Amino acid sequence: MSDGAASEAGTEDGTPGAASPDDTDAVPDGGLPAMGGTVPARDPGRLGRVTARLGRPLVVGTVLVTVVFLILPVVATFAASFAHDWTGVLPTFVRDGELFTLTNWKQALGLTETVGAQRGLGGAWRVFGIPIPVTIGFSMGLALGGVFINLLVGIPIAYAVTRYDFYGRGWLNTFAVLPIVPGIILGVAFLKTYSNLPSAVGLMIGYSLLKAPYMVLAVQSSFESMDLRQMEESARSLGASWPRTFFTVVLPNAKTGIVSGAIVCWTLAAAEFNFSYIVYSSGPKPFSLFLFENISNNPFLRASAAISIYFAIVVVVTALLQALGQRGFELGGTR
Amino acid sequence: MSTLDEVSLLGRVRAETAALVSPTTEHDRERRRILALALPFVALAVFGAVVPLVVMFRISVAEEYLRSVGGFQLDGWVGLCSSILAFVPAVGSAFDANPVYGEVIWNSLWFGAVTTVASVALGIVIAHALEKYDLPGEGLLVTLISFPISLPGIVAAFMMIVWFGKTGLLTNFFVWLAGEASVFPQLTANDVKLTGQPAGTTLAIVGLFLGYLYSMVPRATFLLRGTYAEINTDAEAAARALGATPWQTFRYVTLPQIRPGIVGAVILTFRTALAIFGTVLVLKALSVVTFRFNQVLKVGYDLPTASALAGLFFFFTVGFTFLSLRFTSAEVTG
Repeated sequence: MSDGAASEAGTEDGTPGAASPDDTDAVPDGGLPAMGGTVPARDPGRLGRVTARLGRPLVVGTVLVTVVFLILPVVATFAASFAHDWTGVLPTFVRDGELFTLTNWKQALGLTETVGAQRGLGGAWRVFGIPIPVTIGFSMGLALGGVFINLLVGIPIAYAVTRYDFYGRGWLNTFAVLPIVPGIILGVAFLKTYSNLPSAVGLMIGYSLLKAPYMVLAVQSSFESMDLRQMEESARSLGASWPRTFFTVVLPNAKTGIVSGAIVCWTLAAAEFNFSYIVYSSGPKPFSLFLFENISNNPFLRASAAISIYFAIVVVVTALLQALGQRGFELGGTR
Repeated sequence: MSTLDEVSLLGRVRAETAALVSPTTEHDRERRRILALALPFVALAVFGAVVPLVVMFRISVAEEYLRSVGGFQLDGWVGLCSSILAFVPAVGSAFDANPVYGEVIWNSLWFGAVTTVASVALGIVIAHALEKYDLPGEGLLVTLISFPISLPGIVAAFMMIVWFGKTGLLTNFFVWLAGEASVFPQLTANDVKLTGQPAGTTLAIVGLFLGYLYSMVPRATFLLRGTYAEINTDAEAAARALGATPWQTFRYVTLPQIRPGIVGAVILTFRTALAIFGTVLVLKALSVVTFRFNQVLKVGYDLPTASALAGLFFFFTVGFTFLSLRFTSAEVTG
């Protein structure tokens, strides 16, 4: 906030630390606190009053500006994907009596022929007569593969570091929770080491590695809310073997964390760009590369439609997460 | 003596292994469980990260790397280091090298630092408002602010084009404000058409700065929200009751409590800033390490230099993260 307020607050009455947390902590239970300095003046001064008056509106205003900054282009992109053109100040939504158009979406999805180079999603698979663009179907499958590996890898490690105490536990936890290697570096290292591996397999392993922290964190937060020791010991004392305890008692109780972790991982893997950009060599394109081609080569409105596909996915996923009691991508704060 | 030691060591290893394979005590069984639980992760990390990274370091000092890796030379590292030294102001003139790598590393560092400070400052403000104020529709606000976390860097860049491009929202707004175009060209005679070029202001460094913020502010906010949730609110209430202004309360009561969280958020956000690639690839306003890295690979395929650069970058990120976490004992997991 304002520097003036900071210096004013610091010099006022010459009582630094009069309101330090240790001292004020003593207030509620100790009656008169054993404070060293003098109590600051009741009157905060003119500048203090101004900051008290303006502070809150300023903070709320900052929040609102940030939210508009973050969300308005998303809304504009989504809206523009239904527009006929955007050569004026606002996109043109009505032309020849036709409100909105799906042309951009059809072109982006590769469902109609476009002039020039085919930059759609590389044709479509037909499943029961419903066309599924190859790139989307393939990428979603790849991300699903990554999530599958993450489930196999993330749940056990989360359980081990939450439930047991062992040598090297802290390090293991740090490595599981912090994404150590940036995607672009991992990509180069991976490409050169496993040059014979098909792109699809490489991408799946990369996705699982890069997104593992989200899975581990989600599952860990579920485990931490349970009394694992008691749960395990009760089940064992009732005669269940350890594997049986793990699979039929512990895991079902951590369902929320596992499902939300899987959803977050899947969404982030589907749009992972840095690693895919380096590693991809042949076969159907990952979705993020399709987005990149659209952003760098295609007309604005078609690019908007392509990106809106991903927005639609994220909105659906967010709704799913909210149904699970999570507020959107909060987990993503860690990276 | 030494043979005896070896025998006993071997014997111990054998006994330990036997205990792990067919445990007899509950303690051994628990150790076997921990091993079994940790094994998948360790296997994935070794196969997916450790082995490739080791191979990459090998390539950075290899003479022959196209078909098989062999030989030993330090050209990549020497070139990289002399380039970095050539960039350093005082001693640079002594080195006869192109200072390009020193420059991109410097760019990454200062730009990362500036964007980190801005993001964390904004993150504190937002987390404060979300936690302390009773804002209407708080759940919706949280959802909206967390939305960009799911977006890859290239989409963040596109969002900047939507804001500031030649037909961007803000550009159009100012064009309209200046009276050069009309919102409803059908109704008025004035119908100046704007050209459809994708990037204008976005090529400037401020556009890239905002593009970085687009990805970093939500992350910083949610790292700090975790910290804010653990604050002792009694102390704040007491400070207010004793007559401190809201600013004084924040400065002397809240800030000392969230300081470790802020340090942690700065570390993790700075890491994020260093690793951003997609945004720069689209907006191309500043040559940072990741961007240069891509150029070295896609244009010249100079693998030793690229590997050396990647190695340096990797060591720096890991070293920076662990050192700073060690020294600050900040909360890692947010």
